[in-house]
Amino acid sequence: MSLAVNSAKWTQTMQVAWSNQLVYKLNFLMLVLGPVLVFFFIKYNLWSSIFSMPGVTTIQGYDLASMLEYQVWVMIVALLAQSYNNMKLAEDIRLGRISSYLIYPFGFWQFHTASFFGTQVIQIIVSLLTVFAVAAFGFDLNLSLDQTPAAIAFCVLVSLLWFAIAFILGLAAFWLDETWVLRVIFVIIAQFLSGAIVPLEIYPVWFRSFLDYTPFPYMTYVPVKLFMGAYEGHIGTAFAIISFWLTVSVLVATWTWKRGIRMYSGAGM
Amino acid sequence: MGTIIKYARIYRGFINTCISQATSFRLHFFLLIFMDLFFYISSLATVDFIFDYVPMIGPWNRDQFLFFISFMLAIDQLHMTFISEGFWSFSFELRTGHLDFHLLRPAGTIFSVFFRHIRAGSLLLIFVPWACLIWFGMKIPLDPFAWVLLPCFVIAGLILLVSFELFMTMFVFWTIEVYGINFLRIQFQQLSRWPAFAFKPWPRRIFTFVLPILLIGTPTTGVLLGTSPWYALLYMLAATLILWGLVRWLWLTGLKSYESASS
Repeated sequence: MSLAVNSAKWTQTMQVAWSNQLVYKLNFLMLVLGPVLVFFFIKYNLWSSIFSMPGVTTIQGYDLASMLEYQVWVMIVALLAQSYNNMKLAEDIRLGRISSYLIYPFGFWQFHTASFFGTQVIQIIVSLLTVFAVAAFGFDLNLSLDQTPAAIAFCVLVSLLWFAIAFILGLAAFWLDETWVLRVIFVIIAQFLSGAIVPLEIYPVWFRSFLDYTPFPYMTYVPVKLFMGAYEGHIGTAFAIISFWLTVSVLVATWTWKRGIRMYSGAGM
Repeated sequence: MGTIIKYARIYRGFINTCISQATSFRLHFFLLIFMDLFFYISSLATVDFIFDYVPMIGPWNRDQFLFFISFMLAIDQLHMTFISEGFWSFSFELRTGHLDFHLLRPAGTIFSVFFRHIRAGSLLLIFVPWACLIWFGMKIPLDPFAWVLLPCFVIAGLILLVSFELFMTMFVFWTIEVYGINFLRIQFQQLSRWPAFAFKPWPRRIFTFVLPILLIGTPTTGVLLGTSPWYALLYMLAATLILWGLVRWLWLTGLKSYESASS
């Protein structure tokens, strides 16, 4: 099959993903506004309140400006990496729709990966607009020219890792009736352990040492520190570790798909 | 009295169905328990870690702040158990025309749509936020009258939270897709989990008098801790009544634009 035909399938699927995302405009607007609302009303207010306490000028090396900058980048990394929703994937399996993919000349994982890429294009635009909006409100984001290209590349890997994990959790629909709970559990755990709520420096040392053995710090904390130009570890090692976890996730996803498809009963056929 | 008995019987039926449904899907049942448990732990631990570096946030020390967080978790636990599923299913009922069946039932449609789903797994965790609430209440310590008021205030907070969320959800009649509204609703829940003094004056005014989510926990815990005056509770009552009025109006207006997809 020619490359042109293949790319047409991918492009068409991406366009379908764009249409799906943008069809309910008010709905889309709310999804974009949500994180911004949380940043301005919770994080900005809460940290301003904490740093206005007498005697509190820095917390573990963060002053108010750098804490807010950290929180802005957390929001951007979340927009770039966590946008993909596996609900449709799980629904496809549960309702027996994957039978179509088994016949069509564009497979199940290709369709969902193309949808993910389509969603990513929108999220990149939303993230850029958010960065401009935040800068327009007077926040100094101190983009580091040294580490920003690495931060962007790192975000690409983080988004692929989130997608791979979402894919695995969605594939659980082969065995479970409801899979949304797995995604919510993962999001709650990842937010807490990845430094998305507070910087990891605020956690006790023993807890941080434990986190080093998990992929979580690489899902938020590391890309945020790269954007801030303040990552003190070895960048090459960080890339190697995130690539390792990505490879593991892809292998697990492949294995899960092979196991799951064997017991697929084609509900509704 | 007859109406109360009728609705109590219907609700007993809802509970029985949900329990048998929950026990049929056991892994999902246990996963829900794990999800709630981890959420409670992460909420409390985050605040606890921050207090390792600051002695006070606003007028509250660690125990007072953790008491507030436990109070909000107790509201959240009841919310998750008894109503949260309804907010997700409403859009489905609306899009597919299944709302017709609810409209035809000889019971209140809002009751039938939003109070139909009960999470049995979350119900089992009721002791977790309450144990935290009692633990931090004893550490403060609360006076005996405050202990008597505590359950009533949790229920009052829950009623206000549910009223606000029903108000938001009514807009699904026009947006059709519920995902955005639910996402925004969850962001508002996050906002409500922080005390009013953590907000700057303008956001505080907006979230107290316009979108009254800061009235869910702050006035009641403030009264219990002696940091808010009694009349703050009147704002809470007024907000609940106004929201119910708005919910009723939006519901009736929304029904006029409902197209009944299956008919």
